[in-house]
Order: sequence, then structure tokens, then C-alpha cells
Amino acid sequence: MFAETPITTKKGKAMKLKRIVAAATATAVVALSLTSCSLFGGTQSNSTAESGPFPEKWDTEITIDVFDGLANQMGVQPGWFAKIVKDKFNMKLNVIAPNVAGGGDTLYNTRVAAGNLGDLIITDQGKQFDELVKGGLIVDMANYYEQMKNAAVFDAAVEKVNDGKDGVYGLPTQVSTIKPTEPSEGLSSTFGPMIRWDLYKQLGYPEIDSLEDLLPVLKQMQDLQPTAANGGKTYGLSLFKDWDGNMMNNAKQPTTFYGYDEMGFVLAKADGSDYQSIVDSDSEYVRALHFFYEANQMGLLDPDSTTQNYDTLFSKFQNGQVLFSPWPWQAQPAFNTEENLAAGQGFMIAPMKDQTIFSYGASVYGGKQIFAIGSKAKDPQRIAAFIDWLYSAEGTYSNNSQTQGAAGPQGLTWDLNSAGEPELSDFGTSALLGDGSAQVPEDWGGGTYKDGASWLNVTTVLPIQVDEATGQPFSYQFWPTYQAATANAVSTDWSAHMKDATSTMDYLQQADQILVAPGSGYVAPADSSEIQTLRNQIKASIVEFSWKMSFASNQSEFDSLLTQMQDTVNGLGYDKVLQVDMDNAKAQNDARIEVAKEFG
Amino acid sequence: MTTLTKPATEATIRNPRSVRRPRTAGEWAFTILNVSAFALFAVVCAYPFYYLIINSVSANDVSALGEVRLFPIGIHFSNYAEVFTLQGLPLAASVSLARTVIGTAATVLASAFLGFMFTQERMWGRSFWYRFTVITMYFSAGLIPIFIIMKGLGLTNNFWVYVLPFIVQPFNIILVKTYVESMPRTLQEAAEMDGASIWQIFWRIYLPNMTPILATVAIFSAVMQWNMFQDTLIYITDQSLYTLQYLLYMFINQASSLASAAQNAGGDLSSIAGAATSQTPTSIRMTVSVIVVLPIIFIYPLFQRFFVKGIMLGAVKG
Amino acid sequence: MTLPQALNQATALAAEESPVAKKARRSRRERPTGRGRKSFRLFLWIAPLMVLLFVFSYLPLYGWIFSLYDYQPALGLNGSEFVGLQWFQLLFNSPTQLQQIGQVLVNTLVMSFLGIATSILPLIFAVFLNEVRSTRFRNSVQTLTTLPNFISWVLVYVIAFSLFSSSGLVNNVLQDWGLITTPIKFLDTDQGVWLTMLLWSLWKGLGWGAIIYLASISGIDQSLYESAKIDGAGRFQTMWYITIPQLMPTYIVLLMLSIANLLNNGMEQYYVFQNAFNKQYIQVLDLYVYNIGITGNSLSMATAIGMLKSLISVALLITVNVISKRVRGASII
Repeated sequence: MFAETPITTKKGKAMKLKRIVAAATATAVVALSLTSCSLFGGTQSNSTAESGPFPEKWDTEITIDVFDGLANQMGVQPGWFAKIVKDKFNMKLNVIAPNVAGGGDTLYNTRVAAGNLGDLIITDQGKQFDELVKGGLIVDMANYYEQMKNAAVFDAAVEKVNDGKDGVYGLPTQVSTIKPTEPSEGLSSTFGPMIRWDLYKQLGYPEIDSLEDLLPVLKQMQDLQPTAANGGKTYGLSLFKDWDGNMMNNAKQPTTFYGYDEMGFVLAKADGSDYQSIVDSDSEYVRALHFFYEANQMGLLDPDSTTQNYDTLFSKFQNGQVLFSPWPWQAQPAFNTEENLAAGQGFMIAPMKDQTIFSYGASVYGGKQIFAIGSKAKDPQRIAAFIDWLYSAEGTYSNNSQTQGAAGPQGLTWDLNSAGEPELSDFGTSALLGDGSAQVPEDWGGGTYKDGASWLNVTTVLPIQVDEATGQPFSYQFWPTYQAATANAVSTDWSAHMKDATSTMDYLQQADQILVAPGSGYVAPADSSEIQTLRNQIKASIVEFSWKMSFASNQSEFDSLLTQMQDTVNGLGYDKVLQVDMDNAKAQNDARIEVAKEFG
Repeated sequence: MTTLTKPATEATIRNPRSVRRPRTAGEWAFTILNVSAFALFAVVCAYPFYYLIINSVSANDVSALGEVRLFPIGIHFSNYAEVFTLQGLPLAASVSLARTVIGTAATVLASAFLGFMFTQERMWGRSFWYRFTVITMYFSAGLIPIFIIMKGLGLTNNFWVYVLPFIVQPFNIILVKTYVESMPRTLQEAAEMDGASIWQIFWRIYLPNMTPILATVAIFSAVMQWNMFQDTLIYITDQSLYTLQYLLYMFINQASSLASAAQNAGGDLSSIAGAATSQTPTSIRMTVSVIVVLPIIFIYPLFQRFFVKGIMLGAVKG
Repeated sequence: MTLPQALNQATALAAEESPVAKKARRSRRERPTGRGRKSFRLFLWIAPLMVLLFVFSYLPLYGWIFSLYDYQPALGLNGSEFVGLQWFQLLFNSPTQLQQIGQVLVNTLVMSFLGIATSILPLIFAVFLNEVRSTRFRNSVQTLTTLPNFISWVLVYVIAFSLFSSSGLVNNVLQDWGLITTPIKFLDTDQGVWLTMLLWSLWKGLGWGAIIYLASISGIDQSLYESAKIDGAGRFQTMWYITIPQLMPTYIVLLMLSIANLLNNGMEQYYVFQNAFNKQYIQVLDLYVYNIGITGNSLSMATAIGMLKSLISVALLITVNVISKRVRGASII
């Protein structure tokens, strides 16, 4: 009746069943064995290293995977920087950027679990670096280091980075020969109360003694210009929610005006004279929250703050709808365009009388990130040569992160003028001072300038380091030729009012309103898993309460929210985490004192 | 029980009443209410997409403020030009197309077959294997183990990672199974009596009659394949295998990548200063969304014609 | 007989076997092999697919062992420290934490129940859309109502912000018309958070979810409608006695399956809308897990939580299945 011929006998069925089970098991075993090596152990380290000088040129083109924790773009590097790298090293850079890929440490974890993080690795010191060494994922490049003339200039830093490790596994970033007690930032500090100078001028430069005095001034400024050029309402202050980490990010910024920076839940003063827990009722952090609260009461705080993200805020800055910013590198590039400056409008730092702005000292030992070469890299020698080139003058000019102000390749964006001084070329001026959309000539690689800039986003040598060949720093902003060319109405007026300072940093140093934390290169040890879990829960509470306090409807609500926050975090084990952070802060300070003594 | 009525247009089959009875006032009222309700809901659904379109062609600074709500302001197409000249876009588009077509075909076939087979009472372990399949919807082992297995199978940086894991989809299988159960059993019994093998029964008889549910599974699968970027993110570092959605995701999510970088910076924000001051305008991100959704809107009507009554079912009876 | 009875009989008849098939089935049953022949060969047809499923879904479960370690991927499992049940204990450590988790679970369950309560809406949507005569209108509505499904939540928030923020369209219009003086806080309030999230969910998913039912309606045997028409059934009676019952099996299965998903609300929707003011009510379990840094180094913690969720979901599924067997006489899986 039915066409099929079934296996009706019990024996037949059993045999078939056995075969199936066998097949399935075999598949499973194969799959498991393929994966078991990576699962149960780390990978074996590969320590073959050729010695001898680097070749002049390489014949085979390779593409290397660059795992870069700082990069903001992903894919194969295009444009003029790619051309330089190709010409010199016959190499292409495939940038793998965990920031872009999203999901936190997902990319790092998956790649590491599979045993191959990348060929060139730029990652953090501390936990990641330690476990990469331990897991055999990066190579000992001691042999190559012997040939790395440029990197060897910063040998003290190299030694410090590899302290405790048997060999040279990492090379430092953000190095310089500048004293650690000098600021590392260049012409503009990292933090500072930036206000719309043109409106401030219109008010007749009212005195600003302290943080809270900013508020009435901002109110008057807001009343002067209630709507911006595009028709939107202006606000003295506008905040955003997506950068909140350990605490409400926006609320931490005013604390930097008084010389504090964060270490976990601790605010540590740059000179080590004070350590505060951020939830203390008299901490600078709570003071900042109260500052926002007052601003909101006065109608100065943009109500969109609670729901907007950074990019919306950035647009508002570009359109002139916000009158205050805690970051020079945000306010000025956004608003101080040629157009606005020509119209006499721009952001400049305010002369707040009692400010002592936190500044990161030039670090002798380098910054948080390090270079490493992956253990599965096919041509580690070439990568070592490439890293070495990044420390050279040519490499520094070409590679350094755009806003840090390194001048770009000589011959393209600048050259020595007849007086032997470095000066920006016409192309350089339009590329660096505009929005970066200037077209690069085809023989340099084509594309726009900003697209072709290095995607590595890592500073090897600080741009304020002086280039011995020219006698001027790598950063074009320090060049006298540049400063002469870019004076404008706003900056001249500001300068006249601010002791004839030539830049933000110059003013702060003159007025002794800057507090430099000596650059020690200290990296806090990684949290234990328990502390980390506690920290994650606590910080979520702190962020939530901080916003509510800023927008509280009256003082008693503010106070009660503060008590609630304190009770909640204490209930979550805040003391434990605070102790860890305090210890780290003190250790950091000890490192700072030491480095100041030794190199300062 | 009956023979087919006279060949009729679809309208009369769907609403035979319309040929027989005059429209009462009550029916007019219902029709008006019904149609208006749907029209309103359709507008509410469509408006946000319309919003994206007008913003993508409006001047970027006006758009960024959220002021473009009803009509575009300052029309320009440079956003589209900029997106279409993104590095690697054509290749990514073709990768996306390939995975959508191949992945959907594989999933539809597998879902249909499995959905059908799980209705076969005679199959050894039917109930067990069905549960074996369905339960997988409710647990997940986590990213790392899956990644290690993929790597062990050689599926990283390999096109087939886009297809193989998605072939067996419990949800689709359930849909097909439920649908098959509502089909008359006589279909299979008649075929078995004629000596057809199980494959022939499936392929020749059930599959052609399942078109509405197959179209449904196809839409779900195609959309999922077209929109999926997480697998590219984790398994692929070879640029030639990037999908369109992934390329655009990187473009769109600049803001959130900046946020995570800021959180990790722990105070010293100078490293993100560069990215912070070169944010992609909101309107470009909207342009990207429009580009991603448009193909689906064009393909969708092709599937809609499968949602038409199957007249043939009646022919089996009698 | 009454109209309902007639319709029921028609439905039953349509599902009935032909006499020939009935005979064949009986003779099959009479074969002398106890429980009834089980064809292994049929299984072989699907065996390769089962292997595929095994490799991608079951094999990775070995990763659940990470929850017993302080797993660091760089060091591998051998290099990682064994910590036993530490992660599970950490979850229930302090009273404050328990209170937080308690609130999170309340949020999760409320959103799930709201979802279940409104799960009938796509079905109703499909049934009523089916009543519209114009094919063009129907197809247009269908296409347009599925659009929201394709817009990612990130962009939904961009649009929501533009419309509902303090300087958004709605507030501007309301202020222009003089209805309010200060902007209404739609997005950063703790009032009605669940309802708002539900509405966004419905907006995004209603048209899309109706597809299944529209497809099912296409498959309903036309003879049922014809006999109903003959018996003088009106529009609503047809809907109630034919269309809806035909859709019920699909609906019940999907409903039962979604009950097993009680703890999984997804994260993205809640993530984009969350801020300090609605956090207390918006934080569902998946978001909470994300917020406390799951994707960071607490991999093992993530595994522990994922494991617990999986076990609970499977338990729910089994429970629902048993209940279904008792009540309906048929299990769902």
C-alpha cells in the first residue's frame, strides 16, 4: 500500500540508530576538539624574533590588523596617511576599533578567546596588558627594540612600561622629554569655564570671583541674547546624558576648575592636598550638582538636558544656543569658526578668580595606552619598524591625532619658509583650520584631508615636544607664523583683557590659575571582580540621583535626594569601593611626587 | 460537501454579500469607521518614516534641531551623495543582497520542511525532536562560547556564517507546523495512497499550497538577514565581507561609540576630542536609515500577492 | 439548526477525512507492532538539520561553566580562577540590591503582562483589515503599518525626542495654542512609563505582527465562507464564527510561547528611552543586566544571569505546556 520500504526489523532499526548516534557523536567530538584548545588554555606564545637592523624597504605588500582601543573608525585606512604608510612600509592598516564595534569589551573578549587579538595592538596598561602577556598573545620585542632608534629616546618610559615583565612587551604612548611638572595639553587646557566672550564683553566684563558667580553673569548673557541666529532658544547651560560613567559626567567637570580629577569615586586634587568622596555632602561634586540646581532654578539650564545625547548638544553649540562649556576643545571648534570670529563672536575662557584648573602634566613614562605586537603577526619586524617610525619626527607630524594640532606631513600642509621657520602652506591652512574637507592632491593620496588623517588616534610623541630640526614644537599652534596669521577680533579683545596672554594656557600659567598634576603615568590596578560588580551597581545609582538633584524643584528636595543617594550607595557597599579608590588615589599621588622629584 | 461555485472574481469570493445584499446604514457606518481607523493608524506609522525622508533632504543644521517636521527645508541631496560614496558601499550592498537571498531561500526551505515533518505522527521521536528544536528559543549560551565554536568550524571571516546558523529557526518552524495542521489531512492521505514518498508529498503537494505562510516566513527571514549586523561585528574583520547594514551601523552609531569611549576615558577626555568635534550630522544618519529601509519597501509588495485566498484548496474535496 | 451550529458543522466537516483515507488509517493501526510504527527513516530526513541545530544551539552551552569561574578570555579557562557559586551569591547580597532587583523584576513582569494582554491586537487588526474591500487600500495599509518595524530604536528615539522633548513639536504646538504654559515632560518623567513603553511597542510591532494572521486568513478554506453566506451569516458573525476560530490555533501557540519569554523584554527599546527620571520604572531585566556592566569584564556574572534566565524560561515553557494539555487537551509542543 505504501511506496516506502521501512526498516521494520528491530535489528535493522538498531543498526541504523547506532550509525546515527555514531555520526552525531563524531561531529560533536570534532567540533569540540577544534575548540577545546582555545577554550581550556591560553595560546602558546610565539617568541621567534629576528634581530638585526630593519630593512630599507619591503617587497611584499601586507595588510595588518590593528586592534586599536582608541580608534573611532573601522576598516582599511584610506587617504594620505595610508599612502605614506604604503610607500614606506608596503603595508595597509586594517583598523579594528572596539569603540565603533560597540558592545563594550565584546570585540576584545571574542578575539582574545580565539587567540588572535591583532597584529598591531594598541590597548590599555594594567589589566589588559598584563593578561595579554600572561596569555601569550603578544610577543617580546626586545630584539627589535634594540634597533628602534626613535623609540629609544624615551627609554625611561619603555622601561617603566615593561616593569616587572621579562622582556619588552609594550611601548609607551604620549611620551616627551618635557618635564612632568609642565602641562601636556598645548595651547588649550583640557578643562576650563568657556563662555561666549562677545556677550561677556557687552556686559562690560563683570567680575567672576567663584563658580557660583558665573550664574548671574550667564543669566545676563542669556537675557542679552534669548534666541540664537537659527531661532532656537539660548541657554546658559546645556547637559547631556550619554557619557555618564562612574558619576554624572557633566557634574564632574566643574570640579576640575578647582584642580580635582576623578579616580573611581574619589576626587583627588592635582597636588595631593585633598581627597574627597563624591557623595560627601561637602564635596566638590555635590557643589557642582548644586550649581546645576541653582542654574535650573534661574532658568539657565536647558530642559532638554535630561533627554538629549551628545550629538544634539554639539549641534546646539554649533548654532550658538549654548553659552557655557567646560571644555575648550568642544566649544571652540564647534563655534569659533572663521565666520563667527569675523563677526566678533566666539568662546574664550573666563577669568574666574579662584580657579586652579586641573592639568595633566607631560608624562615621562607615557600615557595609559601602549603598543604591542600580536603573537600571530606574520611580519613582526615590519610592525616594529612602523612603530619606531611613529616616534620619529616624520611620524609624529603625520600621525598625531588631529585636534592635538600636529602639523601634518611636511611638504603637504607646511614647509619651512624663507626664514627657515615652519609655516603652514595654503593647503595646510584650509585643511587644518577649516573643517577638514580640503581635497588632498592625488599624488599625496587623494580624498579629503580629514578622511585621510590617521585613524590610529594615538599620540606617540606629544605635539608640544620641540622638533629639533625646526626649533619649534610639532604643533602648528605654537608657531609664531601661525599665531600671527590667526589673530582675530575675539582673541585680541580677550587677550587685552587677560594680561596680554597669547593663549588659554599662557593666561592660566601667568595668572597661576593652573594646577599641574605631574605626569607619572600611573595606572590604577584592575578592580577585582567583586569590586567591579559593586562599582557598576553603585555608579548607576549615583548617576540617577545626580540628575534628579540637578533638577530638584526646591532645596529641601535637593537635600532629601542627597541623603537618599548616600543611604542607597552605602547599602550597596560603597565603603569597600571607596577604600580601594582612596588607596589608588594616594598611590597615584605618590607616583606623581616621585616623578616630580626625579625629573622635575 | 459542495462543488465549487461558479468562477468568480476575488471580490465576490471575499465578500459574497456585496453581490447579494444592498448596503445598510449600519454597514456604511462600519465601513467608514473601519477605514478611518486604519487610515489614521497608517499615518501614525508612516509619519516617522516620512520624517526621516524629509530630514534626509533638508539642510543639516535645521534638521539637527528637530525643526523639520512637516515639509523639508532647504532641500539638498548631498547627504545621499555622501552616503553613496562611502568606502566599500557597493561591495557591502552586494554582500547583503547575497546573504538575504541565499539565507532566506535556505531558511524558508528548511522551515517548511521541518514544519511539515514535525506534523508526521509516525516520525521516530517526533515529539522529542520538536521540543528539542523549540526549546532553543529560550536559552542562549553567551557570546564567547558561540564565537569559539564558529572559529573552530572555520566560519569566522567566512560568508557562510551569515547563512548556516539561521537555517533552523524554531519560530518559523512553529508557524509552518501550525499552518500545516490546519490543512486537510486528505491531502497527504490521498498522496500516500498513490505511493508517493514523503519528500514527494512535501515538495509536490504541501509546499505549493503553503504559499501564504511561506511568504510570511520569507519576509521575516529576509528582513532579519537584511538588518542583521551583530554577526558581522563579531565574526568578520575582513572588509570585503562587510554587510551594508554593518557599514551603516558604524556610521550611525558614532554617537554611542563616542559615549563608550568617553566612559572608558575616565577623566582625560583629550583622546576623544577629535571624534567629539566631528560628529556626523543627524540628517546623515537619517539618510542612512532611509537607504536601508527603502529596498524592503520595494520588495514588500511582491510578497503581498501571496496573501490572497487559495482557491485551490476547495478542489481537493469530493 | 442554528447558524452557529451550522457553521461549526461546516468547519468540522472540512477537517474530516475522506472515507478512503479513514479505511487506510484504520488498517495502519491494525498492524501488529504494539505502539504503532515509528518510522526512523522519516527522522533521517531531518537528522542533518538537527545536527546543525545541535552544533549552533546546544554545543555552546558548555560555556555555562564560565559562571563557576572568574573567566578571563585572555587566560583561557585553565588560567582563570575557580570561584564556585560566588556570582550567584553576589546577585542576592545586600538588601539594597535585592530591592533593586525586586523593582527590576516588577518592571519586567509588568511589561511582559501588558504585552500578553495586548497580544490579541494583531489578530484583531488582521481580521478587521480583512473586512476592507479595496485591495489597494489594504495593501497600502499593510505596507505602511509595517514601516515602524524597520526603524531601529536608536532612530525611534531621535524622532521621539524631536516630537516630545521640552522643545519638541508637541510642546511647541500646545504652547502656541495656549493650552499650556510650561512644557509637559513627556520623556523625562516617572509617570505612565509602562504605558508609554507599551504604546511605543505596539506602534512598532502591531502591523508587523499582523502579517502572520493575514497570511493565515488567506489560507482559510473559502467553502466555509460560502456556506455561511448561504446560511445568511452577517459580517460580524462570519468574523466571530469562522475567521477568528481559524486563527486561534496560531494565536494560542504564539501566546503560550510568549509566556515562556516572560523575562526577556529585550534591551534596546528601554535603553534608548532611559534617563535618570524614568529609570526606576523603565529598567527591565535585560537593561539592568546591561547597565551593571555586563559586557565589561563581568563575563562570568553575565553567564550566571543568562543561565538563570534560560532555566526559568524553560521551566515556564514546560509549565505552560502542561497546563495547555490539561485545559485544551493538546500540548503546544
